Amino acid sequence: MRRLGILFAAMLLMAMTTTGALVVWPIPAETPDIADIGDVQAGAYLARASGCISCHTDFENGGRPLAGGVPFKTPFGTLISPNITTDPEHGIGSWTTADFARAVRQGISPDGHPYYPAFTYPFYGSFTDQQIADLWAAFQTVAPVAEDAPDHDLAFPFNQRWTLKAWRAAFLTEPATDPVEGMNKAWNRGRVLVEGAAHCGACHTERNLAGARMSDRKFMGNPDLPGSDAPPITAEVLENNGWTISNLAYALKTGLTPEGDVFGGSMGEVVNYGTAFLTDADRKAIATYLLMPEAEKFAQR
Amino acid sequence: MNTYLRAAVAAVFLTITGVAVFAHSSATGVVKERMDAMKAMGDATKTVGAMFSGEVAYDPNQVRNAAEIVQAHSGSAMTDLFPEGSNATPSEAMDTTWEEWETFSALARQLEVMAAGLGRAAGNEPSSTPMGSGTMMSDTGGMMGGSSGMMGGSGMMATTVPMMDAEHLAEMPAEAVFTMMSQTCSACHTRFRAEED
Repeated sequence: MRRLGILFAAMLLMAMTTTGALVVWPIPAETPDIADIGDVQAGAYLARASGCISCHTDFENGGRPLAGGVPFKTPFGTLISPNITTDPEHGIGSWTTADFARAVRQGISPDGHPYYPAFTYPFYGSFTDQQIADLWAAFQTVAPVAEDAPDHDLAFPFNQRWTLKAWRAAFLTEPATDPVEGMNKAWNRGRVLVEGAAHCGACHTERNLAGARMSDRKFMGNPDLPGSDAPPITAEVLENNGWTISNLAYALKTGLTPEGDVFGGSMGEVVNYGTAFLTDADRKAIATYLLMPEAEKFAQR
Repeated sequence: MNTYLRAAVAAVFLTITGVAVFAHSSATGVVKERMDAMKAMGDATKTVGAMFSGEVAYDPNQVRNAAEIVQAHSGSAMTDLFPEGSNATPSEAMDTTWEEWETFSALARQLEVMAAGLGRAAGNEPSSTPMGSGTMMSDTGGMMGGSSGMMGGSGMMATTVPMMDAEHLAEMPAEAVFTMMSQTCSACHTRFRAEED
């Protein structure tokens, strides 16, 4: 009995030490020196491709651009996209370019807190300094909104941000956006978009109990999303359902599917506020990459 | 392994199709009428979509036919088929359809104008470039051109944006008008159609 007590005490001590260590464990954060010369047009384009606007604008309730407030129901509670307008107090107006770079590429707030991975920063890790400067320049054109988005509503222990440090250590990986030699330009461009900015896998890949994408289920769909399922988008499934490079690229422009339906739900938003604004070449690149058989696609690492 | 996967995919696909077919075949009255109308519009746009995505050759007559079908089923012809309270199973209309009736009916009217415009623009398509290079729609990444700054060109689907009239649309390339028409369909479905869960 007594031995059990000691064991229990030892375990408790270990748990507390681990927790304490996690709480104070600093996340290695970059302090990039990024010139403030960004191209607004290029940044706005990248913001469209990355879905900034669709996730941070509450279109459904007539919310102002990028003022946040869009709820994302997850198994851990409800996350609400924050205000990322230029308001210095309620938005990101007082940030430096380096703060912005850390937030976007590393998922770390200016005061050093890790963000929840509902923010798709794991896909933005390979944005270049120039792209960050472009995005930042584009964000400067957004009208300030002096209002906080509502707080996240998460259950314990998910509302403890230090738990995210363990999550990062276990699950955070670099996006596979590096060009592959021997593959053509469209395919490599598609890879940059699909695996990076456009973050298709955020919805179309099932997540584990910790909310991390399961690499062996890549693009096989996610039945656990709020609202509607994300269907599988592996090359095989796409092909079986009648998708081709040209009609998939066209669907990303118009929302129109080859069987004469249109996207609704979340994919409707992705197209209407995102991919509809891309160039034909980029939409074709996305389709080219997605429609290459998985075995070949993922062998290219 | 591959056979298994194929079988699984086929099973899932059949189930989904089966459910959809079942939903439509079990519908009656006004719900069935509007499902049939949607189906008719879907079939019409399917043909035209295949032309603009470069899969089949461009045919202005077929575009005019499709535009007529969509026009006939949009506007008040559409909203009349959505009387209040008609959203019981197997209807796929969300409650927001009636809660945001202004937005819903504005989109239905917008569709009617777009379809009318498409019919008149059908002859504008240069036959030499069926796919085009997206010059009209995508050079600046801004849907409606202009697009200075972050939100440039956004609000395309918002009902507060002054609606283009059919005269104006008739001057545009058919592909551009069809794109806007399809985006109107998608905007409305995004907001008001329940997706299978």
